[in-house]
Amino acid sequence: MEQWRRNVSRRGALKLLGAAGCGLAVGDWFGINPVFAQEVPTSKAIEPFTGPGPNPHWNSVGPYVSEPLKAPLILLTDRPVQLETPRQYFRTAFTPNDGFYVRWHLPEIPNRVDLANWKLKIEGNVNKPLALSLSELMEKFRPVSLAAVNQCSGNSRSRFQPRVPGGQWGNGAMGNAMWTGVRLRELLDTAGVKAGSVEVQFQGLETGPGPKGLGSNVFLKSLKLTDSVLDEAVVAYLMNGEPLPMLNGFPVRLVVPGYFATYWMKCLTWIRVLSAPDENFWMKTGYRVPDKPRGNTTPEEVKAGGVKTVPITRMPVRSFLVSPDGQSKVPAGMSVTLRGIAFSGYGKVVKVETSEDGAKTWREAQLGEDLGAYSFRTWEAKWTPKTPGNYTVEVRATDEKGNVQPDEGVWNPGGYLWNRIEKQDIVVGKAS
Amino acid sequence: MLAATGTAVLAQLQSGSYGSAKPNSIEQTAAAQMSNDGNFAVASFPSFAPELAEGEGRAETESFCAMCHSTRYIVMQPPLPAATWEAEVNKMTKTFGAPIPEASAKKIISYLQTHYTPETRKQ
Repeated sequence: MEQWRRNVSRRGALKLLGAAGCGLAVGDWFGINPVFAQEVPTSKAIEPFTGPGPNPHWNSVGPYVSEPLKAPLILLTDRPVQLETPRQYFRTAFTPNDGFYVRWHLPEIPNRVDLANWKLKIEGNVNKPLALSLSELMEKFRPVSLAAVNQCSGNSRSRFQPRVPGGQWGNGAMGNAMWTGVRLRELLDTAGVKAGSVEVQFQGLETGPGPKGLGSNVFLKSLKLTDSVLDEAVVAYLMNGEPLPMLNGFPVRLVVPGYFATYWMKCLTWIRVLSAPDENFWMKTGYRVPDKPRGNTTPEEVKAGGVKTVPITRMPVRSFLVSPDGQSKVPAGMSVTLRGIAFSGYGKVVKVETSEDGAKTWREAQLGEDLGAYSFRTWEAKWTPKTPGNYTVEVRATDEKGNVQPDEGVWNPGGYLWNRIEKQDIVVGKAS
Repeated sequence: MLAATGTAVLAQLQSGSYGSAKPNSIEQTAAAQMSNDGNFAVASFPSFAPELAEGEGRAETESFCAMCHSTRYIVMQPPLPAATWEAEVNKMTKTFGAPIPEASAKKIISYLQTHYTPETRKQ
């Protein structure tokens, strides 16, 4: 009742009406009736930060903001821009471009690219350096399309215990798109990689004010020329059949299927063949994981020193429940559909299972269309909670290599490689 | 007419509750003017300076940290132990070459440790 009374316009109207004589009929019109036994819940803004415990929410806790060519997304940081995709965008296998998460490292990111001058350069230790306009890329090379998940290495970092510094992502630093472009291998072959080359380096239009030679000056990533992922990599100029949003890497970005997004260089402008290993910050120090199962270590081991690290590469298998999301109660006896997505950087997802009884029993979910080994795969399962109570729905996926999601978290100082089984509390209420 | 059907119906539902709230809606963006040349542009990225905790060292923190990044990088973090804040500021100066005078860097570390650890963080 209190909320009604606080409603200024109604109160004002009642006051005015009161002056003319407010009878019982007018009171009914304004819904003033004393029989309601219960208040509706009060809506509260989410807390502004989480910790030192794990973030209990599916997404990060920032406010929604509207950035150029983007739907309102969850703000992590504004300069450089980091935005998280809200949970509801994962109801479909493909993540729309305007809902796709954003992650930049350095503040100088493009607001404008002039395609009359922009060229993709293939240079370094090659026989014939190339400089290709976007129209040359589109016309001179065979277009290929593939569905692939782009996931930030630090996705779900806010689950870590103890917490680690870095972007405090919930689960929404990921997205799946149909990428269309040119095979990286075709570009490298056209330029002709010289003997003695060891790595290929990627540079985009992402720079910072830091001194030359440091990680704060330019973002650079490299892959070994012996890495078979190069045969699958694509220089993409279309994302879900549309130009890439500026914040997702217009005009072209590198697609490295199965690998974390750190290699998926946005606004890719230089492809550089190297004759010596890349020792820049973003390879030698950043984006490295312990050379141990699941990249798992402890703060004590790190403090003691000697934890050998390697550059992060493939994404471990993950699955998510997208709906129901726990925001509304489910009536007992109602058959609801559990829905979500799953993926793995090691190959296609072959099984998704759900449990509603604290992982005592698991049931196999129905998998959606197979859109390729590196795509999101949708899944669904019917669930009828028979009696009122508090339930926890758990979901786990298995990929074609036999990797299954574990129910243990992971810890490393970078906050990488999280793939623990996801759990969602669902409140079931009486239906009669 | 709810009144005519009596209290039996009313007891089954509650409707028309509106709470007062901050108008924190997001404006729709109008389409930009575009020409047919090779320029592909988007508007400036909006920036939102968060309110940092009041105290000694806030001015240094706001000006030096914001040379390279928004101070939302601070408030986005969970409460972090004092040693982690020290390591973060040292990473900015030593690894990333941020030109922060030593005395100011010390003040920034002390400010972050005073307001943003599990023991001290309030906002």
